[in-house]
Amino acid sequence: MAEPKDRGAARRVLAVALREFRHTVLTKGFIFGALVMPVVMFAAFAAIGLLLDSKLPPTVGAVAVLDPSGSVERHAREELAPARINAVEFDGKRIKEMSLPVPPAGAAQPLVPRIDLSLEFPRDPAQEQALRDRIRDGGLLALAIVPPEVLAADPKAADGGAASFTLVVPSGSPPRLTSLLERSIARAIVKARVERAGSDWKSLDALLSVPGTSVRRLSEDGAESEENVVAKTLLPMGFMLLIWVATFTSGNYLLTTTIEEKSSKVMEVVLSAVSPMQLLAGKILGFAAVSVLMVGMYGALGVAGLAFAAMGDLVSPGLLVLMGVYFVMAYAFVAIMMASVGSAVNDLREAQSLVTPAMLVLTVPLMLWLPISEQPNGTLAVVTSFIPPAIPFVMVLRVAASSEPIAAWQVAASIAWGFAWVGVFLWAGAKVFRVGVLMQGKPPTPRELLKWIRMA
Amino acid sequence: MTRPAVELRAVTKRFGQVEAVCAMDLSVAAGSLTGFIGPNGAGKSTTIRMIMSIIRPDSGTVDVLGADAIVAKDRIGYLPEERGLYRRMRVMEFLCYMAALKGVPAHGLRARVRAWLERVQLPEAERKRCQELSKGQQQKVQFIASVIHEPELIILDEPFSGLDPVNARLLNRLIREIHSTGRTIIFSTHVMHQAEQLCDRIVLINRGRKILDASMQEIRARFDPRVVEAEPIDGDARAADALARVPGVASAHWSPERRAAELTLASGADAQAVMGAAVAAMPLRHVALRRTTLDDVFVELVGEAAPPSEESGNG
Repeated sequence: MAEPKDRGAARRVLAVALREFRHTVLTKGFIFGALVMPVVMFAAFAAIGLLLDSKLPPTVGAVAVLDPSGSVERHAREELAPARINAVEFDGKRIKEMSLPVPPAGAAQPLVPRIDLSLEFPRDPAQEQALRDRIRDGGLLALAIVPPEVLAADPKAADGGAASFTLVVPSGSPPRLTSLLERSIARAIVKARVERAGSDWKSLDALLSVPGTSVRRLSEDGAESEENVVAKTLLPMGFMLLIWVATFTSGNYLLTTTIEEKSSKVMEVVLSAVSPMQLLAGKILGFAAVSVLMVGMYGALGVAGLAFAAMGDLVSPGLLVLMGVYFVMAYAFVAIMMASVGSAVNDLREAQSLVTPAMLVLTVPLMLWLPISEQPNGTLAVVTSFIPPAIPFVMVLRVAASSEPIAAWQVAASIAWGFAWVGVFLWAGAKVFRVGVLMQGKPPTPRELLKWIRMA
Repeated sequence: MTRPAVELRAVTKRFGQVEAVCAMDLSVAAGSLTGFIGPNGAGKSTTIRMIMSIIRPDSGTVDVLGADAIVAKDRIGYLPEERGLYRRMRVMEFLCYMAALKGVPAHGLRARVRAWLERVQLPEAERKRCQELSKGQQQKVQFIASVIHEPELIILDEPFSGLDPVNARLLNRLIREIHSTGRTIIFSTHVMHQAEQLCDRIVLINRGRKILDASMQEIRARFDPRVVEAEPIDGDARAADALARVPGVASAHWSPERRAAELTLASGADAQAVMGAAVAAMPLRHVALRRTTLDDVFVELVGEAAPPSEESGNG
């Protein structure tokens, strides 16, 4: 039976939406969990950096290298020179590995405290015990014992005539310092070996240095772009998680408030004023505003973070528009699902059994994040782009990941196909909601849900 | 002739194999105070939900205030049997929200809510959260929610359940006051004496069908038991035998619970003459012509198998 036109429908829908928005956003739980906590965490990360910079004590002290041969000293002094430790060996390398912009020479290294070592090079092996005693007494930061055989490497042996040196450190020695000494003294030993063999270390080092790589992606239409590890993997994940968190947070609120309205028996009071469809529309609209607030806030923080890291160019206006479209689609899928499940059950435990199958589909993009990000035009990515309700999540991964552009037809088709499925979800979800909101007692089985869809 | 406030024509509603309401024809006169009575599961609440357009009938038509029920939603007030509030909302906020849904303009709304809270003797509840109220207080708030928009038609489903006698009396008075302003009230209950006290018309529903639809006056006339109750000052079952010989008495039996004889009048007998003869026959503490009660009517029409109950249930 067709419902006659209700002139007050828009007013009622807006009143419901406004209530849902206000009573979600203006609660301590939301303000703390969704607004304050992320800001606090963001501030905490920044504060940790500042604290490390300003408060961590510098590592200053003596290190002894017991080297009877005396051939390691010069090289060890080079390797453990404060300037080299702090500027090159430590941060420059790490920064390069992370594909982060290398700060200009001389710039402060905020996360690394200063390391300043004075070096001693005793030669008499009989001093070993006395040096060990100094370590126990706190007079030495470390003792490296370099036996002569470790310098006598056989160039013809496959492993260079494996021998080892010993590094003795106090029990409370920072792992960072231990690791630094281990690497630096090993390198000094190698240099000493090279010198012993009559070769020139600088030439060898230059010959052995691994060249940097500039990966250029060339598309079928001839466009060339630079490979970027962040753009290809972390950024798509970040975008997808942003949409995931925003839609599922709102979706969960939608689920719990609907269940609460049923369990507290207020549903029938509300339904005396609005129709089930107006209530559904108002709830979806109200929580959409909650979701938009979260996406806007976290998204702005993310974009600001990228701009701060000089990677603002990774987020184009076109990408943001597509993100917006897929966000609307993702929210619609999640919201309709949660509202209809919430209407059909009496408590959260019952809801889990109905939500789980859909959640499994929605975790596919999370599980396939890496393969989809690495091959955004691969078969797996293309196929999963058309499986509802995962469509928007997979497409966000693809459009954000791609150094090579996604075919325009695929983007258009995914949007058309996705919103067609949103229509199907809305049609079925509305029917379940209409029947479910007035149902009490045992929760429906999937077969009964299908019956509701047919009979409503 | 005034248009009826509610008119159902051949309305049927099924839930699966169960026929909750079957070909119901019903007309509720504008300005009346009509009682829906019936046993649990009779179809009262389903009928009310269709009047409220919360559910749609499978067949038949429902006209409310001259329009389709869904269009008339803002002109109807409803206190459902399954009552609930938004537990964390404040009372003022909840009532303003319900009023806004019903189309009450925001201007002057808070003052109107305050006036109602005063009227139900809950002026201090305004800033309280709904969950902080007692059950009776919550019920009063729900009652306000059903009348805050000054509806033309008010439907109250078991409004007295859970109320103490003082609050029940207050609500009774409010219902009468609202009715006196010309509003139509439908009042659903399975507590017969409440319906008898309040209603000017009774609709008895059983197994989804209307089995009685008449004014209280008509019901009293139609179901007059023609029984005289005579309570002897000192008497036992033998008194009933003595009183059975009074002229105009067709039969008499002794009611041990009432410690009185129940004298069924013979056809055409004058009740006043029988009572006079009974007083003359033996000293009586009390003699009266039994009044028709809805309890008796209910039992007669619905049967002993489904006695009226004080407990709430789904009608």
